[in-house]
Amino acid sequence: MVKKSQIQIGETIAVLFVFFILIAVGFIFYVRIIKGNLYIEKDELSQLNSIGIAQRVMFLPEIECSEDVVKEVHDCFDKLKLDATQSIMTLPPNQLYYYDMFEFSEIKISEIYPDKNNQYNKWTLYSKTQKDFKNKFATNMPVSLYDPITRRREFGVLTIETLSK
Amino acid sequence: MFKKRGFEIQFNWIFVLIAGTAILLFFTVIAVKQRSLSETSAKATVLKSVDAIITSASVSTDTTDQLTIPNSNIEVQCNSVSLGSGVSKSYQNLILFSPSLIKGDKIVWQTMPFSAPFRATNLLYMTGQQVRYIIIGANAPNSLAGRVVKSLTSYLGKEFYQEYQHENIKNTNNYKVKFIFFDNLNIKDNNFPSSLVKMQDSDVTAIKIIGNEEKGNVEFYQKNSQNGKWNSKGSSPYFGKSSLIGAIYADNKEMYECNMINAIKKLNVVNKIYTNRLGNLKIKKPECDSIYSKAELSLNAINSITQNIVETNIITNEELASATSSLIGFNGEAQRSSCPLIY
Repeated sequence: MVKKSQIQIGETIAVLFVFFILIAVGFIFYVRIIKGNLYIEKDELSQLNSIGIAQRVMFLPEIECSEDVVKEVHDCFDKLKLDATQSIMTLPPNQLYYYDMFEFSEIKISEIYPDKNNQYNKWTLYSKTQKDFKNKFATNMPVSLYDPITRRREFGVLTIETLSK
Repeated sequence: MFKKRGFEIQFNWIFVLIAGTAILLFFTVIAVKQRSLSETSAKATVLKSVDAIITSASVSTDTTDQLTIPNSNIEVQCNSVSLGSGVSKSYQNLILFSPSLIKGDKIVWQTMPFSAPFRATNLLYMTGQQVRYIIIGANAPNSLAGRVVKSLTSYLGKEFYQEYQHENIKNTNNYKVKFIFFDNLNIKDNNFPSSLVKMQDSDVTAIKIIGNEEKGNVEFYQKNSQNGKWNSKGSSPYFGKSSLIGAIYADNKEMYECNMINAIKKLNVVNKIYTNRLGNLKIKKPECDSIYSKAELSLNAINSITQNIVETNIITNEELASATSSLIGFNGEAQRSSCPLIY
């Protein structure tokens, strides 16, 4: 009789053990799926963030062309403003100010046309990097560069590299 | 034998009870955790939507839209947005004119440029559809009230009256009511509507606008349930129509000034860029030097005015308006003389 009841309790414990093992396996499986989704979502967010930063740069009043030009040409940057912005935006207090907008990223504009025998102008407007980043997204956009002195328009490329952990 | 069997049955029941409790507890904990997780996740989604609006505000001028979100309570403070405990985002320089609490499932937003005279930034206005705006002023198309009403988004719950007759204003169960008075109406001696008496003092506010589209002053008022009249909460200057509209959306004087100082901070940075650019223009276009030298004085004046505002947190508009209008004149002069524009 004692043996039978002991066996019964043993059986119940074994059933419970298997039950909890099954729950644990299910839980681990669920957590893994959630984690996988999170990584995909994080990647998407980083890409969206990169595009968001690109959009913000495209409409930055600091570098956009004068009112009379901007009405005719979209995505137009004033070359004199780029010179001024480069020197002002990279100052430490201003860099902190722009961190809210651009976070960990690098914003560069380079001339590409017309041909200048490799004497192209390049502007690094903002650069804040982090050492232990995991992802790096680069967004390139064609832009029009306007020289208010010569009143000529040139082509350039806006490169935005965003870093994320 | 009987005793042993009795003990065995009792032990079985105790064992089943403990095991059952453990299993129930396990699932209850998981359910509770999952619930709080999904609530936080829903709040985070709303915050992401608000953040997306803040981002798009910087790229789109003169835009308005409404966004459907899960029913939420969005709390807006100076430089931060939160949705209850744990879900919040802080900004270094947030320019968001809005009530301190946006309730409901629809966010109404609008953007306008802040120019002095060049565009320095966009001002973002945000509110809920359940907030009621009551505008009192002359309904002529050329009147300031008429032009301001025209500039406000059509998604807004707004009413326009020619005269303030407090007894005619009914309670339509809005959680916040804002009165906007134009045309030098003496509201200090006027009562607030008796239909709104049960509302909290901070939920019934008013502003009185004295000035024109370029510059003026905004007086802030709040309902005083003690004497049934409007209680003055101080006044603040506005600069341009976009900042005047900011005062309409802002909950109180403190929120309005916080946003205006953030906008002026940005104006200060952009102004430095224009000053630097003008220095280059002066070197490269010596024939335009006479115009540029005069313009440089205006840019320097804007720089010192904005710097002073940022340092003291006291907003002034007279000198800023005068420097801005001179700069507009010099830009026109540059255009007429075929010189590259100043801005």
